[in-house]
Amino acid sequence: MLQNKSFVKKTRGGKIQKQVRELYLRHDIPCGSHACGSSCDRAAARLPADAGTVLVLDTNVVLNQIDLLENPAIDNVVVLSVVLDEVRNKNLAVFNRLKALCTNTGRNFYVFANENFKETNVIQMVGESPNDRNDRAIRVATRWYQGHLAGNSKILLVTNDRENKRKAIEEGLSAETVESYVRSLGRPELLDLVVLPTSEDATMMDVEDLRPSKRKIIYSEHKPMSEITSGLLHRIYHQGKLRVNRYNPFEAYVGSESIGDEIVIHGRSNMNRAFDGDIVAVELLPQDQWHEGESSIIADDEDDEEDDVHLAPSSADDAPRSINQVQHAAASTLTVSSRPVGRVVGIIKRNWHSYCGSLEPMPMPAGHGGTAHALFVSKDRRIPKIRIQTRQLDNLLDKRIIVVVDSWDCSSRYPSGHYVRTIGKIGDKDTETEVVLIENDINSRPFSAQVLACLPPLPWTLSPEDLAKPHRLDLRDVRVFSVDPPGCTDIDDALHCTRLRNGNFEVGVHIADVTNFVHPGTPLDEEASQRGTSVYLVERRIDMLPKPLTEDICSLRSDVERLAFSVIWEMTPEAEIISTRYTKSVIKSCAALSYVEAQARMDDSRLMDPLTSDLRNMNSLAKIMRLRRIDRGALTLASAEVKFQIDTETHDPLDIGMYQIREANQMIEEFMLAANVSVAEKILKHFPLCSLLRRHPSPTKEMLEPLLRTATSVGLDLDVSSSKRLADSLDHAVGDDPYFNKLIRILATRCMTQAVYFCSGDLSSSEFFHYGLAAPLYTHFTSPIRRYADVIVHRLLAAALEISKLPPIFQDKAQLTNISDNLNYRHRNAQMASRASVELHTLIYFKKRPTDAEARILKIKSNGFIVFVPKFGIEGPVYLMPRGEKGGDWVVDEAHQRIIKAGTNTSFGVLQTVMIHLEVVEPQPNRPKLELSLK
Amino acid sequence: MRGLQFPLNQTQRVRLQSALQQLQDVASKSTASVTVADTIPVSNEDGILKGHGTSELNGEVVATLCGVVERVNKLVYVRSLRSRYKPEVGDIIVGRVIEIAPKRWRLEINFSQDAVLMLSSMNLPDGIQRRRTAVDELNMRSIFEENDVICAEVRGFQRDGSLQLQARSQKYGKLTRGQMLTVPAYLVKRRKHHFHHLQQYGVDLILGCNGYVWVGEHVEVRENDMVVDQKNKLDETQVQSLVSFETRQFVCRIANAVRLLAALGFALLVEVIVDTVEASVLSNVAIKDMLGAEFYVQTAEREVQRRLSLMKRRS
Amino acid sequence: MEHVDPLTGFRQDGRRVNEMRQIRGEIGVVAKADGSAQFEMGNTKVIAAVYGPREVQNKNQQINNQALVRCEYSMANFSTGDRKRKPKGDRRSTEISLVIRQTMEACILTHLMPRSQIDIYVQVLQADGGTRSACINAATLALADAGIPMRDLVTSCSAGYLCSTPLLDLNYSEDSAGGPDVTVGILAKTDKVTLLQMDAKLPMDIFENVMQLAIEGCKAIANYIREVLGENTKELEYRRGS
Repeated sequence: MLQNKSFVKKTRGGKIQKQVRELYLRHDIPCGSHACGSSCDRAAARLPADAGTVLVLDTNVVLNQIDLLENPAIDNVVVLSVVLDEVRNKNLAVFNRLKALCTNTGRNFYVFANENFKETNVIQMVGESPNDRNDRAIRVATRWYQGHLAGNSKILLVTNDRENKRKAIEEGLSAETVESYVRSLGRPELLDLVVLPTSEDATMMDVEDLRPSKRKIIYSEHKPMSEITSGLLHRIYHQGKLRVNRYNPFEAYVGSESIGDEIVIHGRSNMNRAFDGDIVAVELLPQDQWHEGESSIIADDEDDEEDDVHLAPSSADDAPRSINQVQHAAASTLTVSSRPVGRVVGIIKRNWHSYCGSLEPMPMPAGHGGTAHALFVSKDRRIPKIRIQTRQLDNLLDKRIIVVVDSWDCSSRYPSGHYVRTIGKIGDKDTETEVVLIENDINSRPFSAQVLACLPPLPWTLSPEDLAKPHRLDLRDVRVFSVDPPGCTDIDDALHCTRLRNGNFEVGVHIADVTNFVHPGTPLDEEASQRGTSVYLVERRIDMLPKPLTEDICSLRSDVERLAFSVIWEMTPEAEIISTRYTKSVIKSCAALSYVEAQARMDDSRLMDPLTSDLRNMNSLAKIMRLRRIDRGALTLASAEVKFQIDTETHDPLDIGMYQIREANQMIEEFMLAANVSVAEKILKHFPLCSLLRRHPSPTKEMLEPLLRTATSVGLDLDVSSSKRLADSLDHAVGDDPYFNKLIRILATRCMTQAVYFCSGDLSSSEFFHYGLAAPLYTHFTSPIRRYADVIVHRLLAAALEISKLPPIFQDKAQLTNISDNLNYRHRNAQMASRASVELHTLIYFKKRPTDAEARILKIKSNGFIVFVPKFGIEGPVYLMPRGEKGGDWVVDEAHQRIIKAGTNTSFGVLQTVMIHLEVVEPQPNRPKLELSLK
Repeated sequence: MRGLQFPLNQTQRVRLQSALQQLQDVASKSTASVTVADTIPVSNEDGILKGHGTSELNGEVVATLCGVVERVNKLVYVRSLRSRYKPEVGDIIVGRVIEIAPKRWRLEINFSQDAVLMLSSMNLPDGIQRRRTAVDELNMRSIFEENDVICAEVRGFQRDGSLQLQARSQKYGKLTRGQMLTVPAYLVKRRKHHFHHLQQYGVDLILGCNGYVWVGEHVEVRENDMVVDQKNKLDETQVQSLVSFETRQFVCRIANAVRLLAALGFALLVEVIVDTVEASVLSNVAIKDMLGAEFYVQTAEREVQRRLSLMKRRS
Repeated sequence: MEHVDPLTGFRQDGRRVNEMRQIRGEIGVVAKADGSAQFEMGNTKVIAAVYGPREVQNKNQQINNQALVRCEYSMANFSTGDRKRKPKGDRRSTEISLVIRQTMEACILTHLMPRSQIDIYVQVLQADGGTRSACINAATLALADAGIPMRDLVTSCSAGYLCSTPLLDLNYSEDSAGGPDVTVGILAKTDKVTLLQMDAKLPMDIFENVMQLAIEGCKAIANYIREVLGENTKELEYRRGS
């Protein structure tokens, strides 16, 4: 084992520091091939003995062609550690995919630690750039392989770097470009996956459509990174995340911390090839160009003027139309606004990922089966069209496909990308649902065999051993019941309420004991932690845990003995908690009620059975608790949840309506909140550094701004100085109609931040506060079947009670933070997916039945307003004038949030009720949308 | 490595290495060196006595020092190498006065504690055996002052554990006109004689058992001359205060020879020292060059020859 | 940061999880001292010098039935990347001085050298993680060189727990990752623990694994140290001649 020292200079906190790191070069690194003739260790060998060709990949191949690599046709690959490192530094997402490939036992990808191997380690020479050094390292490793596996396998270096390829061939290695290699495989469908080189390398591709004379710069060149960095330092440029307006893809905002305000960006040319979510550097335009930005547009979002789509990628006449649009807008509304307007000068970090959508319909090109250029239209309106090349055009035209963006050259109007895979036929409900899932990164694959192997044998019954455990309390003789939405199969909570002799109540909340079956570190646990949460779509549920657990073993159904984790309070009739007990238990639920049933029992004064009186007792306790909570300042917010009635045969929505909230719902909610708070206190006391809690940050002044503006315009005075004050003033906001209050609450909800999970060690205790519930501590404990956070909390609680040991993962703060980040991400995605699913079904519903409905105006824009339809929970824009036309004779009154038609009395104000017509239109093929118009 | 630091050229390095290798080959194989915590093999039936540097652990004799296992009849002990001096009664040592305390001098002798030389175990300058008076006590500084180098003999340990010296002989006493050298104590072997009068050079060499070596101008020991006139003595010292240049050179030469041998880690035997000095004179090596690379290697080679001839003579 | 590459199983510096850095020990690097040694664990370099047993300097500290052991730990200003002047006797060095003193005291047969004092000076010349362990190993070598009687050889090694794996002998970048770091010192022959430090929480079963790994590291170091000492002793002896 030879030792070598590498010297690295590194800046930390502005200082230049010399860091010396050791590097041990070894002799004992196996080549990973079964064909190896020497004494390499075969234990970790991945490459089969009969591998004809072994591929060594260059970094650029991995970075650009990861979709191709994921195709099983590419196999017997050596991934060098130098390549892995480079990929990790350049693109973490690609790195993770490559990592998954390398660990997948089904694929023959072998990681060769060339940097640690004596014979393949390469030291950077004087005057050699790091890139050249890495290229040389790749060649050295390839040569070593060639010598090592001589005669047994052919070693092929795959690189798209011309220089590297030339040098490799000079050194006597066989090297090919990706394209020529894929061609040699003789499978044309693979060629679609090959990312074509960008125009800098354009000479390498066969370019019949390249017309140099007509190539013209459409977008301004991005500034080099060094200039951006210094510009940011001197506050000439501003950094921020670009967010594209949902209703108008030609308008975007960049939230800049250096300005403390959002910078508006108009038009594609000012957006300068930035995608939604990119971190960009923005330059402010001179103030006289700051035209009235904010309310100017809910512009036409479809660029359907571009009927004559130019498929040749780089024709100059493809200049974004929006330039004119912007100028037009600027001319028409010369009122200089206070909102800064800017343009993107550089992109600091791309947010490119894969997009779902379809191809723009086009006539079949003459040469059948040949390469065709097509424009891809993403489902997400914020994403511009993407130019792709395909050889299977006829196949793809009516399909939903996934496409990845590769590059966006400043001389091409659209970004270019490549096809990844097909989801299914357009318009098919399953396909569209799949799209929703993919867009939100939700894993809906069935559980793997390893995961299912972790399940206890079925049918599961309570075993005497479970009962014999000293920590498990036998509560089977207690009258426990559950209340859930109708048709609920994954019942994870149940309750009981017994009057004690001293007049107090014993109230218990029993939560399915999922951690008794899901043990840390098992594949089942890993999978659940990855999924994070169950996802509820309109017609389907994607479980976090396999069905036997969610619907049988853990589900607290009636009349079966189930394991539970219980929180039991003793409460006075005034709902004061006297004592709290936590225990694992065995329960036998006597009734699984639905909310409606429970409500009906409580309301029916004739019923005097013990269960009903329990319900009533609980309800009265819950009411007191609720009042007390509201007194503390908890907000009662409202959301526009809707409910579909689904046809059992066709799974098409039959009816749509708002979700009704009953007293019974609130009763259950109250006890769940109480249980969560009690558990949060307990685990934080025992594990102050590694508890998983949930917090809800107070909204900032800026976030509440829109709410206040709306409120003022209707003459309402809201006090937002604290949650308590806000709650009070929301209570007093009673308008002339019953729905007014709810509307205000909906608006208030919109202004709130998201509640998030966090690891208690990451934040100071003052930040633990849950604003919405006005609780100093909160966590999720009550739904372990459908949320992984609750599983973690169960484990924490069990460890706090010394029932079980704390799994090692809690020692690793970084990992815990990772988990909580993942949970937040999954939680948000699950919500988005539910919403998207609702939207999808709304579309299906209205497709057949154009409807008229009452709507409320939420927001005034310059050419229309955004309305909310309470009956269906739909929100959308209403245009007052035909698209393309700006301003017209409508004038916006900013102070009163009104839009007035000049010269007439017609005006619309915020929160006003209007009648609208709902109808599904398809202005662009394959992009149906619900259009709202004034009745 | 400790010792002399100088660059050796290629041939010198090879010569040195081969010389050292030969020394290793010559060395008797019977000596068993041990390191800390090594088990010393013993046959238990003999009923052995555990001596210095050993302890017992789970019925095994275990070394607590790095060194060489020595067995004398039933006694098993570890003779340590590089360590501080371990006094034995009768050892002749060279030391340095560091403190004058009531009725005693404290001497630094490379032991774990300072040694004590009582005024009572010291011959008075006038040579008369009598009780020490308070006046004597006040005049102690006129006999030995701080930093004086003294030669004495180990008398024994007091009950309180302190080490007592005595200097009740004319050959002991203050050492002047010369240099004191410090070498590792293990290089000085206990011999019959530690005082050496090298007549050919007119130099006294005292190899103190504690690793302190004195090289100085020869002083006649006047056993009989007990009564010396105070005045007369003063004159004498004044006359002698100029050591001849030649003697000084020899003192330096011998001192360098000792330094060189110590640096090589060779035992300091008077014959070897004299040999080295003679060799340096013969080959006209300047005094300062005695500590140079070439002579270093030569000395190593000479030692090899010496040991080889010794072996031959023995066999 | 990934401290163990999950794909290759190597750490950042090319070691496997249970491999130590290269160790090297040299005896007799300080001429004046009674015993001295330099010990290297990879890029961590430590020098130790032992003086004594000698007369106790401060008479009221003298112990009548055993030796007084003192230890001073310091870090050279140039030992780390940023060259800043560190105040002498800061909390960290005071603590490490104490740790080394207690560890060494446990193996020195102090009762054999009553009323004397042993000074151990250790200085870090180059710091790259595991200085504590390197100091203890250097001190052991220096004490053995000084011929101070010892019960056994004390050796020390650290192990950490990162990326859910126990790692032997953390270097600086691994050490500063913030995971638990267990420093163990053992008496090599008798397998007794004389030092055990960790300033983090670990579950018992994992801790045992980590500690076991560190103990194995200690044993490997002990074998090496024994070798170095044995060679040194042999050389001194044959050079001296019989």
